[in-house]
Amino acid sequence: MRQRVSKRLALVGGIGMWWVAAVAHAALPPTAVASGAPDEGDPRVEASLLVDATQVKPGDTFRVGVRFRLDPGWHIYWKNPGDSGLETDVAWDTPGTTVGPLQWPFPNTFRTPDGFIVTHGYDGEVLLFAQARASEQATGSLSLSAGINALVCEVHCIPADLMLTRSIPVGPQTLVDAETAPLFDTARSQVPRPVADTGHKAVLELDSKQLSPGQEFSGTVTVTSVNGAPVPTAEKDFFVAERIPGVAKVSLTQTAPGRYALKGKTEPDAPQGEPRLKGVLRLGAAASGFQPLEVDLPMVPFAAAQAAAPATPVVKAPSIKDSLAAVKPVASAAPAESSLGLGMALLFALLGGALLNLMPCVFPVLALKAYGFTRMVRQEQGRVGAHAAAYAGGIVASMLVLAGAVLAVRAGGAGVGWGFQFQEPLFVAAVCAVLVAFSLNLFGVFNVGLDGTSLAGKVDQSHGLMHSAGEGVLAVVLATPCSAPLLGTAVGFAFAAGPFTVLAVFTALGLGLALPFCLLVLVPGLAQKLPKPGAWMERFKQVLGFALLGTAVWLVSVMGGLAGVDGMTRLLAFLVAVSLATWVYGQSQLQEGGRKWASVTVAALVLGGSGVAALRFDDAAPAAHGALASPSSTMALAAPWSEEAVASALAAGKPVFIDFTADWCLTCKFNERTVLARDEVRNAFLEHQVAFFVGDWTRRDARITAKLAEHGRAGVPMYLVMSPGAPDKPEVLSELLTVDSVVDSVKRAAECSKSRHQDGAKVVCSAAFPRP
Amino acid sequence: MKQMFAALALGSVFVGVPAFADAEVGKPAPAFTLKDESGKEHSLSQYKGKVVVLEWTNPECPFVKRHYEADTMANTLKGFDAKKVVWLAVDSTAHNTPDKSADWKKKEGISYPVLQDASGATGKAYGAKTTPHMYVIDAEGVVRYAGAIDDDPRGKNAKKVNHVQTAVDAVLNGQPVPASTTTPYGCSVKYKS
Repeated sequence: MRQRVSKRLALVGGIGMWWVAAVAHAALPPTAVASGAPDEGDPRVEASLLVDATQVKPGDTFRVGVRFRLDPGWHIYWKNPGDSGLETDVAWDTPGTTVGPLQWPFPNTFRTPDGFIVTHGYDGEVLLFAQARASEQATGSLSLSAGINALVCEVHCIPADLMLTRSIPVGPQTLVDAETAPLFDTARSQVPRPVADTGHKAVLELDSKQLSPGQEFSGTVTVTSVNGAPVPTAEKDFFVAERIPGVAKVSLTQTAPGRYALKGKTEPDAPQGEPRLKGVLRLGAAASGFQPLEVDLPMVPFAAAQAAAPATPVVKAPSIKDSLAAVKPVASAAPAESSLGLGMALLFALLGGALLNLMPCVFPVLALKAYGFTRMVRQEQGRVGAHAAAYAGGIVASMLVLAGAVLAVRAGGAGVGWGFQFQEPLFVAAVCAVLVAFSLNLFGVFNVGLDGTSLAGKVDQSHGLMHSAGEGVLAVVLATPCSAPLLGTAVGFAFAAGPFTVLAVFTALGLGLALPFCLLVLVPGLAQKLPKPGAWMERFKQVLGFALLGTAVWLVSVMGGLAGVDGMTRLLAFLVAVSLATWVYGQSQLQEGGRKWASVTVAALVLGGSGVAALRFDDAAPAAHGALASPSSTMALAAPWSEEAVASALAAGKPVFIDFTADWCLTCKFNERTVLARDEVRNAFLEHQVAFFVGDWTRRDARITAKLAEHGRAGVPMYLVMSPGAPDKPEVLSELLTVDSVVDSVKRAAECSKSRHQDGAKVVCSAAFPRP
Repeated sequence: MKQMFAALALGSVFVGVPAFADAEVGKPAPAFTLKDESGKEHSLSQYKGKVVVLEWTNPECPFVKRHYEADTMANTLKGFDAKKVVWLAVDSTAHNTPDKSADWKKKEGISYPVLQDASGATGKAYGAKTTPHMYVIDAEGVVRYAGAIDDDPRGKNAKKVNHVQTAVDAVLNGQPVPASTTTPYGCSVKYKS
């Protein structure tokens, strides 16, 4: 029934449109209509010159267009005709009127039956139109002419050369033509609009850092909706590329709504420079309506042209320098880092790992370890070394798992960075559950391993070692969101290099993390200085339990950023279930036989059931911009980061400060609260008219991942200061900000631009901003 | 981790997608043996040592008609040393016959053979999409140019750049071809399907 009604409505609508079109047609002067492409005397196309006003006021805008009506089976071509055909050309001759660029509704795709030849254009009817503006001096009437050159094809092709002319009276008022205006509005709704204007965000991530002539390339285009609404699925022929200089072919395949695999191939003599992926994309379905978007995304630069390519390729193991050069095609940021050797990277990784112990994320684990250690030193002298080795082993093993994950994801083409696993809600939930269970263990709700129950005499030693190894794993899991100084450099280096380097750097990082604890064992006498065990240990253990709960609170806030209030609520509900399950399990430890197993089963059911019920996180939940929402004064000045916004701020002569941050990055939050939020910084920003941008990496964002890689980094925080006087040479600040460093660099950036603005001939910039 | 699985799945999709084929500049030209309108066989290999120009054609296509009215192909060929350059027209139109080609040759006064490719096998091996679609193959059998005959799709420019002329001259002089790939224009090749 419903279907029948909608059909009838469509019929009525269709008749209405036909009537409107017919009336519009009837009102046209004979010179504004022409037919062409005669096929054995029968014209295959009819073109008419339409205007959406019956009278125009001088200085006002209106719309002019050419409506093409084609015989069934015949078509004309879009601005990129595809494999054959010819772009439809409309040349305007409109004295006293300026006409803007031609607007092209989203094209159809035509294929030969074998699919060998693919073209893009319009069949049936289409209105190609443009914005026009009458001159302020216009009087009498405006003459409008359109010269049309179109190729009209069915199986064979016939060129059409037509000239359409009409005039429109000039008057005190612009009068909209109620008959033609709807035709223009319909056509307008089919013209793709720039992605940003439609409340979407599009990101292109290519798998390679540069394009080589005659080579295939691949990548991913991701479209997200800024307001969090799901991106609709696209239907067949949803993407049509424009002609891109240097690029022979490019195509998109939908892998998920809003996610498209890109494949392409460059031309054999690819030009210099960086091509842009230009084309039109259509979301949605025919039944529910399409949303056409215009895509214009930077790709990666072409490799420098080689004079007379060598016939025999030189097989050479890629050096670290080559790898670095590949990740940083623009030798922009931190030139000192690019000479970083593997040895230095490993040293940095080791030191960075050691410093991680002092970060708020890892400290509770270290304290826990130190606590367990004091007891062990007294109780099992001989096994201290083994426990230290197990702890270090747990750390290194999980670091290697992390490195393996990084390599796997990288091989799959996605960009990853340090801390990337915290962009995954399920991972955050799992870590949270472990933390809560761990703290309940410390509170004595249940017992694990070494703290054996009534069988204290028979300490299961392997279990104890597992415990130590587990603490090592936990230390790594918690360490990732804390990016210590030096760490960014080392990990960035590793991500840019080959698999071996990734593994080596992560191993060094793990050893560094294990180092302070191992030192306690290796340095004789140091352990003796630890306090004697006693009743204080039980209290200390419980205090540590609260420290772990504190860490869990932080993870809950991370979840808020990932999955909104709903996600947080689900997580908290799950944590309550986890607590209940561990309590039931604790009870089971006091029981024996069937009852014991019944309790364990109940605990497992509670855990599993609540997990399935609660742990469903909506990826599309609105991103909470923690940094932007923070009430502090300077942060209130911030705008979301985008390349375009930065470029326009620089063009306007403003220095730019970019804060790449994430909710789960404690170092970032620390810097924002203690440095960026300070009045001195705010005043400096205001004084120098600094454009302040925040790039939020709480969730996956390929643009930010790429930006980090461009500066040799793999994780946040990263702070960039750019001067309008030298926009190509951003200054990369240290991961640990100070008020002075921020204020000074912003001042330098402003001065570089100032001297340039006042006296174009004399550009005086400091070393950080060399003259452009 | 969802992201990782997605990435891995994506990776396997890429492996399954076939590579783009077609005759490519810098690569050996696909071999062919085709009969001309008189039944005589022509193989690419028999012209080794000479520069070969391939012209995909279809006498019914308005773009081809325009170029033959203007003698574009004949004038281009005239500029070459006949001992070093061979010109072959190829017709991959499904409904073409040797008789039609012979009539066309006579009418237009064409001196070069019109190879019969009604099956479309050679045209598809080269990736010929339009009429005209031009290829220049050097003495070693390597494709050196693929694309349009000139830079004037609408046939309205007073001055045009003849891409084939430029490419053959460059190949004969041992120079790199300046624009070795251009976008061909014209009617689609009417392949059998």
